[in-house]
Amino acid sequence: MPRFTSTLREIAGRIRGMFAKRDREADLDDEFAAHLDLLTQENIRRGLSQEDARYAARREFGGVEQIKETYRDRRGLPMLETFLLDLRFGGRMLRKNPGFTAVAILTLALGIGANTAIFSIVRAVLLRPLPFPASERIVRLFHVPPQKSFPGMSVFPISPANFIDWKAQSHSFEAMAAYRPVPRTLTETANPESIPLSFVQPEFFSVVGIQPELGRVFYSGEDQPSSPHVAVLSHTFWKNHFGSRADILSQDLILDHDRYTIIGVMPASVEFKAWSGTAGAAWIPLVWNDEDRAERGNHNYSAVARLGPGVSVAQANAELQTISARLAVAYPREDTDWGATAIPLQKFLIDAYNIRAALLVLFGAVGFVLLIACANIANLALARALNRGKEMAVRAALGASRLQLIRQCMSEFMLLSFLGGAAGLALALLALSAGNSLLADHLPPGTQITLKAGVLAFTLAISIISGLIAGISPALRMSKTSLNDTLKLGSDRGGSSAENPRTRALLIVCEIALSFMLVNGAGLMIRTLGALQAVNPGFDSKNVFTGSFGLPKQSYASPEKKIAFYDELLRRVRAIPGIESASYVDNVPLSGGSMQPISVEGHPAAAAQDAIEIATRTAYPQYISTMHIPLQLGRDFREDDDHALLVSQSMARAYWPDEDPIGRQVSFLMGRNTGTWHVVGVVGDVPGETLSQLAPRATAYQWSRDRDWTYLTLVARSSANPSTLEASIGNAVHSLDTGLPVLRPNTMEKIVEGSISSQQFTMWLLAGFSAIALALAASGIYGVLSYAVRRRKREIGIRVALGARVGQILTMVLTGAMKPVLLGLGVGLIGSLLIGKAMQSLLFGVKPADPLTMITVSLVLAAVACAASLEPAFRASRVDPLIALRNE
Amino acid sequence: MYVFTRRLAISDPRTEVLQGTLDLMILKTLDTMGAQHGYGIARRIEQLSNDLLRMNQGTLYPAVLRLEQRGWISSKWGLSENNRRAKFYSITRAGQRQLAAETENWERVAGIIARMLGQTQGA
Repeated sequence: MPRFTSTLREIAGRIRGMFAKRDREADLDDEFAAHLDLLTQENIRRGLSQEDARYAARREFGGVEQIKETYRDRRGLPMLETFLLDLRFGGRMLRKNPGFTAVAILTLALGIGANTAIFSIVRAVLLRPLPFPASERIVRLFHVPPQKSFPGMSVFPISPANFIDWKAQSHSFEAMAAYRPVPRTLTETANPESIPLSFVQPEFFSVVGIQPELGRVFYSGEDQPSSPHVAVLSHTFWKNHFGSRADILSQDLILDHDRYTIIGVMPASVEFKAWSGTAGAAWIPLVWNDEDRAERGNHNYSAVARLGPGVSVAQANAELQTISARLAVAYPREDTDWGATAIPLQKFLIDAYNIRAALLVLFGAVGFVLLIACANIANLALARALNRGKEMAVRAALGASRLQLIRQCMSEFMLLSFLGGAAGLALALLALSAGNSLLADHLPPGTQITLKAGVLAFTLAISIISGLIAGISPALRMSKTSLNDTLKLGSDRGGSSAENPRTRALLIVCEIALSFMLVNGAGLMIRTLGALQAVNPGFDSKNVFTGSFGLPKQSYASPEKKIAFYDELLRRVRAIPGIESASYVDNVPLSGGSMQPISVEGHPAAAAQDAIEIATRTAYPQYISTMHIPLQLGRDFREDDDHALLVSQSMARAYWPDEDPIGRQVSFLMGRNTGTWHVVGVVGDVPGETLSQLAPRATAYQWSRDRDWTYLTLVARSSANPSTLEASIGNAVHSLDTGLPVLRPNTMEKIVEGSISSQQFTMWLLAGFSAIALALAASGIYGVLSYAVRRRKREIGIRVALGARVGQILTMVLTGAMKPVLLGLGVGLIGSLLIGKAMQSLLFGVKPADPLTMITVSLVLAAVACAASLEPAFRASRVDPLIALRNE
Repeated sequence: MYVFTRRLAISDPRTEVLQGTLDLMILKTLDTMGAQHGYGIARRIEQLSNDLLRMNQGTLYPAVLRLEQRGWISSKWGLSENNRRAKFYSITRAGQRQLAAETENWERVAGIIARMLGQTQGA
């Protein structure tokens, strides 16, 4: 114990000893002086003269400076003190070379800033887990549709009857619930608005696993048709709409004139905006009556489940497959070839937004930029290091050990990388705050990108590692100097001159290769975007307003009432000045829609399950003319048509390749509009979901004079900017029904743009990184070449003196510069071919190994390299031989 | 009995044995003689060792610093015989305890070795 405490006291004493240096030195001087004085006196008493007495005293005392050094080593913390000294010295050196410092810090800031920004995004999107307990055990349940009816679709909504059977027959799940997000209108308020709701079965809350903040969730029997209407609110809705009132549990929620008793409030933590199951304003019990429960062939619901303890996703999937096989045998008409699958929720959410591939590619891009930045720093560092050869030799001669030399160099670079890291962090914060608003459209809704402690740690780690990587080579090199040679040759020639050109050339090759891969990636994305934008969408998206309506049951109970409303609204909208044409459809292009099985006259399906599913839309007359969809055969709908169809070109070609489709009969087996319909016209194809669909899906538009349509989207083409119409159309609606809001008002142009927004996002980011990479590579080449020219001044001077012409010098320098560049291009080309595979899923209309892009990129890089080499080359050619030969 | 017949280079702190010996000598000096400044300690050590021990006097100071940091001696500024500002050191109670412990340790070790040597040399 005493040993321990005395050691502690020693350490404390040493720490104290680091401060008040000047006073302590003065004290030490006094003490030594007193001692020496006494010794001198003693010697005088012994009979020596003043001088001799003093010399003898000094000899007896010992080497004053050496003793002081030992004393100082004991007094403070020598390691810490030398470190601080090194840092101060490093700081001074950096200040003395502002150009180098500025470029280096900027380089690191860009590299680290970009890295931190992207890391934050990656973290926000990929790495953050769902806010539910054991969220990795939550799975989405889907049907796997038969591939011949639904080519290319791997998941499909579920049907109630099948879900009920899955639930009864499976043992893999501890909770299962079907749900459906549906918007309803908040009525009996001053401003009726449409709010998103999640209709869920009571077990939903067991799947999610979070307790309500207030009140309770649904009991298991509360989803019967006869049960009283109840609702559970989300925290945000309770806050925004009800002002977080404490007596919320006695209030009602009025949706479409129906009263729902509020029985609970869920905590804010459960609101995961990217998932429709938890993104709603409130949860309402999903009620299935007997008819609903028997529905097996219509797939309109989503389902989610929690895996039972110890059950893996693979096991659950295996069981689902067995159950599906059983159902296919039991219900051949509806379930043949219909499978089932369970996908972990988080994985599904990420894949659904196609973010993963894009982000991984971007992360690679960022890594490249940082590597290029480090290569630049290393190059700059090498240049400076060799300039300091003489200084290092002198230090070594004065007694610095190799470790001390290395430490001295390292501290300068550590300082640099810390400064660079700080600058980078500032840059990242700026970028993120600006980007949060921009990126909101491109990422899953509601994800907030913030800088977290983990990001800071990452940035700091990168700073330190960058400093180490960049600092270590020159530091090692320097300390190996042969003192004699260095001191003799002078400051410019420190270090073995043979090795360095190769290292610097290697760094250039790396920079060029990395830049090539990056710029090539950007180029491919640019071409992809170009290809997407060039896709003929089949309609004219300019100046078209869209807005949707959902007629509530209470006020619009009968089909006649619905028809009356929609027809009258259309009349009023068409009368608005500035509107060229208007009509309705259930889903506009690029926003998904219904798919139904059909049976075509003359192509009888052997059984219902062989029926191909086509995209179906319900549309009013003049829809195709409003959207400028070309009419290729026959005519548009007429008001009095009964069960009329307009089929798309691809459908006509598929079913009636050699005959006239007009007048043909098509039977719709399911869905809202069953029965037999006849073709009255053929129209052009229009993409249903995305522009990048390679084969257009067969589409049929339905219209009949007796129809029962609740949900429709108004499309109105105007002569000018359609967003100004929102008010007038809103008024027209309001004049017919004050309680009906216009849902999702938008323009077709924005919808089209939105459909390619993720590719746009990727392209812009890659382009940005490429620009940074090009700038860095250019400055790197410039730096290397400048330095090389400076070092070869003597050689160039001699050449000029011997008669070399300007052109010859220029050629010599340029070819020397371009050799590593060309090698870099070659390596970059190979690298691009390799990473092309990774990018494949992001591309459209261009192959990963596209030669045109690669050639363009090569030319761009070569041009940049040339431009960067010009100034040093010119400087070389203008070297005055006399000056060059005279200087060291 | 160890006899140092020439000047000790105690300035090298890596010789642990000599280091510890010096600490012991300083503590003993201060314990016996009371408060001393550096010169005084050096002279007293030479005196107490019957002038067999001569050393570079300045090398005391790093040792004294260590002892002070460990709390075994304390210091105060005063005036030397020459009316110069000088630091005076005295042993602390903890120092006295340390001195006692080290003395016992030293005697024990010396006794063991003396017995070993005594067996081959006789008396």
